[in-house]
Amino acid sequence: MRITLVLLMLIGTRLLAQPKAADVKTFTLNNQMKIMVLEDHSIPNANMYLFWKVGSRNEYPGITGLSHFFEHMMFNGAKKYGPKMFDQTMEAKGGSNNAYTTENVTVYTDWFPSSSLETMFDLEADRIKDLNFDDKMIESERGVVLSERSTGLENSNFRLVHEMVKASAFMAHPYRWSVIGYESDIKNWSKADLQQYFKTYYAPNNCVAVIVGDVQTDNVLALAKKYFEPIPAQAPPRPVHTEEPPQNGEKRVFVQKDVTTPNVLVAYHVPQTQSDDYYALELLNTILSSGNSSRLYKELVDKKQLATEVFSYFPQSIDPNLFYIYAVSSKDTTSTELEQAIFTILDEVAEKGVTENEIQKAKNQKLMEFYQEMETINGKANNIGTYEIFFGDYKKLYEAPAQYNKVTAATIQEVAKKYFKKPNRTVGIIQKNVEQ
Amino acid sequence: MQFFRKRYILLFFQLLISSVIFAQAKTARPGSFTLPPYTKFTLSNGLTVYLMEQHEVPVIHVSALFPAGAIQDEKKAGLASLTADALLFGTKSYTKSQIEEQMDFLGASVNTYAAQEYAAVQVSFMATHQDKVLPILKEIMVNPVFTEEEFVKKQKRLAVELDQQRESPREVIGTYFNSFLYGDHPYGNPLSGTKATVSALSVADAKDFYSTYYTPNGSAIALVGDFKTKDMRSKLEKLLKDWKKKENTAIKAKEVPLPLYQKNRVLLVNKDNATETTFYIGAPGISRNNPDYVAIQVINTVLGGRFTSWLNDELRVNSGLTYGARSSFTPLKTNGSFTISTFTKTATTTEAIDLALEVVNRLHSKGIDEETLSSAKNYIKGQFPPRFETSGDLASLLTSMFWYTFDESYINTFQQKVDELTTAKAKEIITRYFPKENLQFVLIGKASEIQDKVKKYGEITVKQITADEF
Repeated sequence: MRITLVLLMLIGTRLLAQPKAADVKTFTLNNQMKIMVLEDHSIPNANMYLFWKVGSRNEYPGITGLSHFFEHMMFNGAKKYGPKMFDQTMEAKGGSNNAYTTENVTVYTDWFPSSSLETMFDLEADRIKDLNFDDKMIESERGVVLSERSTGLENSNFRLVHEMVKASAFMAHPYRWSVIGYESDIKNWSKADLQQYFKTYYAPNNCVAVIVGDVQTDNVLALAKKYFEPIPAQAPPRPVHTEEPPQNGEKRVFVQKDVTTPNVLVAYHVPQTQSDDYYALELLNTILSSGNSSRLYKELVDKKQLATEVFSYFPQSIDPNLFYIYAVSSKDTTSTELEQAIFTILDEVAEKGVTENEIQKAKNQKLMEFYQEMETINGKANNIGTYEIFFGDYKKLYEAPAQYNKVTAATIQEVAKKYFKKPNRTVGIIQKNVEQ
Repeated sequence: MQFFRKRYILLFFQLLISSVIFAQAKTARPGSFTLPPYTKFTLSNGLTVYLMEQHEVPVIHVSALFPAGAIQDEKKAGLASLTADALLFGTKSYTKSQIEEQMDFLGASVNTYAAQEYAAVQVSFMATHQDKVLPILKEIMVNPVFTEEEFVKKQKRLAVELDQQRESPREVIGTYFNSFLYGDHPYGNPLSGTKATVSALSVADAKDFYSTYYTPNGSAIALVGDFKTKDMRSKLEKLLKDWKKKENTAIKAKEVPLPLYQKNRVLLVNKDNATETTFYIGAPGISRNNPDYVAIQVINTVLGGRFTSWLNDELRVNSGLTYGARSSFTPLKTNGSFTISTFTKTATTTEAIDLALEVVNRLHSKGIDEETLSSAKNYIKGQFPPRFETSGDLASLLTSMFWYTFDESYINTFQQKVDELTTAKAKEIITRYFPKENLQFVLIGKASEIQDKVKKYGEITVKQITADEF
């Protein structure tokens, strides 16, 4: 691997002595649930990350936001542990938890002293096997999620414009609605919708469980067999077959809001994570906006002072999705001036490409990010699960450097040319007076 | 509201992976959790240095702390913060863009900021790049030149940012609260200043501020990561040998007494387009060296420090009024604050406030039973080790130890102190430290709809969120 040479120059021989893919132990239970374990005894703690292959892409109009609402309901009582008991039991055992929902996945995260490992299996197995939907809990949880939705919109302009741009960029694919869903759907979905969702998506064969920390692999496997294996598999959910047709003309969306200066969000259709262009686009993303010397920051915020902030965002995705660039105008800069400046920078990449220096910089930045992720047991668990889901196999993690190393200035220029085209973009603008 | 990010929507936390190799698992430290060994020494110029080896990943984190926080701003609100930013605007040997290019190219990061009491410089880099990064770090701390052009650029941007922040109640409520609670005490100084105070600042102000407060004596630097202590020590001694000590710079918070309010007061900040009310209910809290600090954290876990806490249980789980409610103590060197914080839609503002007050009263009237106390103890002990898992966490801990004058016994006796808390002692702690009267309310919301209703909580002051003040 050529990357080895680059890494050697960067950080010496140390890396070669590090553990290999084999250190992650993987097992598939009889019900097709996948269990992945990595031992790390640096602190007396461990975690359990459960990745479910369900997100807002699995929804349809009428139940938008249900994946996320369901995530909340997973904490509201099952057979052995009734309402509130999941959290009460976990916290009394020194554990805490969280969960998140994206367009593609729903992930449950438990963090605990390793002595409480078995309790975690018991709690998770109970809700995976026998989740209960208490009418009172459904109603109070609706209030919680409506509050979550409104506080996001109250405090973040990005939330607002992101929702509008998605709705415009996608006409067919379920990525068109936000993960939190439409307010009217949040208010109206029924218990039956939840029950159907549970049966369809919360089957062990639709889950990857990752356990990292101060544990013994044999013990984890024994507990997985005891608690998870008896849960029956279900017929696999129907695949999402809707494909977004190509966009052949620029789309524009305006939102009126009392903002200090205009906010601009530009989004280009790009392929899914498992495409050949992924690594080039990811390096381009880094070159565009990672650090003050990145192209967008340096040009827009520092040199021309057209923006007070800028970032680009290229989410990992199961289906083809969007590559975003978001900027907030500085004083006296119009949204038109700001978006034109963004296009000029993107055009320059498409026309002239990027420098070798920029490519090497991006690789170094990613290496550093990787180290920081791998410094914690949570970073490790999240990496393993994310690679397993989005790249199809956690071992792809081990091919990533070679993949990044294949990327040249020419391939970056190619993807910029291919995707950063006017007919392929959607532009969203928030400003005080949309008629301006 | 970060504590209860519970069940949130993922937007930006996608992982960026560039390499394939897992870091090596460290040796187990079975049983209780203790702070890894470190070395502490003082350079001849008075700078306190902490070195701690951590070899899990080939990375080094630096945290440097200077007595240069917003408490020193006096009338020039925002000066400490802008001075900290300006450390990166160029030095004797590097221009601003050279610093940025070099650090980015190495995958390193540098962050400078001022907090209420101190300013900090934080740097992370790969261990193999230490001889490239450490000289830049030194220049940032020792030889900043405060380029006029860059200073003015930042000043202009800040003026817009100060308005932009006011679009988000969550961004500004803390500043309103500190100003309301601390009054003329320096802890009430608005960290980023106002448009008026910031536009009046000059490069000369920053230079003066720097030369007064960024002195090696009175400051500390901690390095944690993949190095050999002996080598790093001699490297630092050489690197920082020309940084001169400054005599007689007795730096401390001005002796202004804390205002003591003998009544409830309400600050209502009007935001015309608000759809919800964001609020803090608070009072004076404790200083960081309070001997009951650990016990107070255990009790606060029950009140508002975890998901099943009474505040979150009532306001979120039972009633669906909010996405999250919490309480916390923010201890500083000589004082501190206590706050309950949450948000709810405009129509349920008083319902949520009443419920929060009811929960506080319940803490006082009923106290905490054995089972609840035991659960809180397990929780706080179980969640303790991950707070000090990374080299960055440890570097920040070491400079905190310097500033607040505590040592590793805080970490090493934490579990024991938690275990020692009895229900009887808990009752004393509640009575003594958990405020239930003379409360200070700060509400950001739509005044036309809530002003009449919230008068009942105390003497009311109304401000406009768009006004250039806190």
